[in-house]
Amino acid sequence: MQDSASSSELRALLACGLLLLMAALGGGCATVRPEEKEYLAEPAMSWSSGGIAKEHEDHMVDNREGSFGGESSPAGGCGCN
Amino acid sequence: MQLMAQRRHQRQTECLRSGAVGMRHAQASHGRAHGWGARCGWCALALGVVLGVAAPGAAEDSVGAASSVFNESGGPLHMTVVVPTVKASKDLGQAVTLRAGWTADVVSGASVAVVDAPAAKVDAISSATVTDTRHAFNGSVEVHDGLAALAVGYTHAFENDYLSNALNVSARTDLWDRDTTLQISYARAFDEVCDLAGSFDPVMKPRLDSSKGCFSDHKTRTEHDLASHTWQAAWTQALTPILSLQVSGSAQVNHGFQSNPYRAVRIGRTAAQEHHPIDRARYSLGAGLRLWIAALGGSLSTQARAYRDTWDISSLSGELGYDQTLVAQLRLRLRGRYYTQTAAAFYSDDYVLDPRGQYFTGDRELSPLQSVLAGPALLWTAPTDDRGHVLGVLSGFELTLKGDVLKTYFNHFHYDKAPVPNTFALIGTLELHGLF
Repeated sequence: MQDSASSSELRALLACGLLLLMAALGGGCATVRPEEKEYLAEPAMSWSSGGIAKEHEDHMVDNREGSFGGESSPAGGCGCN
Repeated sequence: MQLMAQRRHQRQTECLRSGAVGMRHAQASHGRAHGWGARCGWCALALGVVLGVAAPGAAEDSVGAASSVFNESGGPLHMTVVVPTVKASKDLGQAVTLRAGWTADVVSGASVAVVDAPAAKVDAISSATVTDTRHAFNGSVEVHDGLAALAVGYTHAFENDYLSNALNVSARTDLWDRDTTLQISYARAFDEVCDLAGSFDPVMKPRLDSSKGCFSDHKTRTEHDLASHTWQAAWTQALTPILSLQVSGSAQVNHGFQSNPYRAVRIGRTAAQEHHPIDRARYSLGAGLRLWIAALGGSLSTQARAYRDTWDISSLSGELGYDQTLVAQLRLRLRGRYYTQTAAAFYSDDYVLDPRGQYFTGDRELSPLQSVLAGPALLWTAPTDDRGHVLGVLSGFELTLKGDVLKTYFNHFHYDKAPVPNTFALIGTLELHGLF
């Protein structure tokens, strides 16, 4: 029973990994030209727009939950670093 | 951070005007970073984070300060946490940025010391007064060019009963005309937790009643190690001119003492200090989308996260947000988040009637729970004068005012027969951010 659960988790993990790999490779094909990045460069579209306030919230909420991680990363994305 | 984004927006606009010139310039500066920049980075790390040693041509320095208040109350239980933070960054030339920060958690309140102590309701007798302050100092040095960055940082945190030292490294790069950003990071923490000295059978071990004597030679106190490794990776992708995707994953391995030494659980006739496994591996995967709605001049964001660990907790969370520019310098952000999790394998609401093996916990955050978080944020960017200054000194200034409510549903956790009374919390934050 335990082996079956482990192997199903492993399959799910592999499927997720494959999906991510395909998406990452596919990402290289998507092209947004520099002159089309006006809206992506808006502050409201930035993934790093939370500031210290977001760090505080994550810190407080993490202490009220049994899980962690997987939240957004402040890694660029507006194409204009 | 908002200001940085605003600056990036301005630079992007300039970049749009100058076409590919900016990209060529960035690629040219890429080569310069590896020599002088890398050496200077290590020198800067050795010196710590002395912010007054600016090299000529310092580009964009910043100072940020924020304070948040978390208040949770209900019945005899209440908890207030005040979190002040100060951060500063200084560019040394074009390739190196030093960052330093301090943050604290000032905690006061009353929590339950003996979970499941017989009582018709949650009472003051079984509650413990908590007053503590945690300080954390951090510093980092980042070596970067137009397309990539490498950072090394260190954090030291301490409180009466807990010490932590953590090292972290991270790397980021932009690819494919900056449509793609990849980031990876690794953190290694070496923590020490104060506990009662002596050899006890877990079911006979009393709880720690105070932090008095911790981290000294006091014969009734000892310290346990807790080590952790954390890996994180994120991929951000511009999918279309108005749509951006981010996928992130993290994994963490903890080894060592992971119980709360102050908390005891009634497991028979007596109460024993809660007893958690010493190993835990945790994995999470998240994905989010941001969509620009041109007709409204705002952005819609959505995010989902899945989590699983070896204590058998699984969780899912979903978030929806909307960010709207109200007037030229003022933005409103609205956000809501739903979270749900299953229980740890060794969690029981009553260890007398329903024991779960050798481990036992009084941690309500290891029970099945759901929570809802929602709130607005206002972001104001100060207008600049004709010379591009704010208040004559700064080159930019932003103020953020944020408030959230957090409601948690502990449907399977009781203090003996009494439900959890303090399930409603308020979080407020004021943040100021200036650029020089």
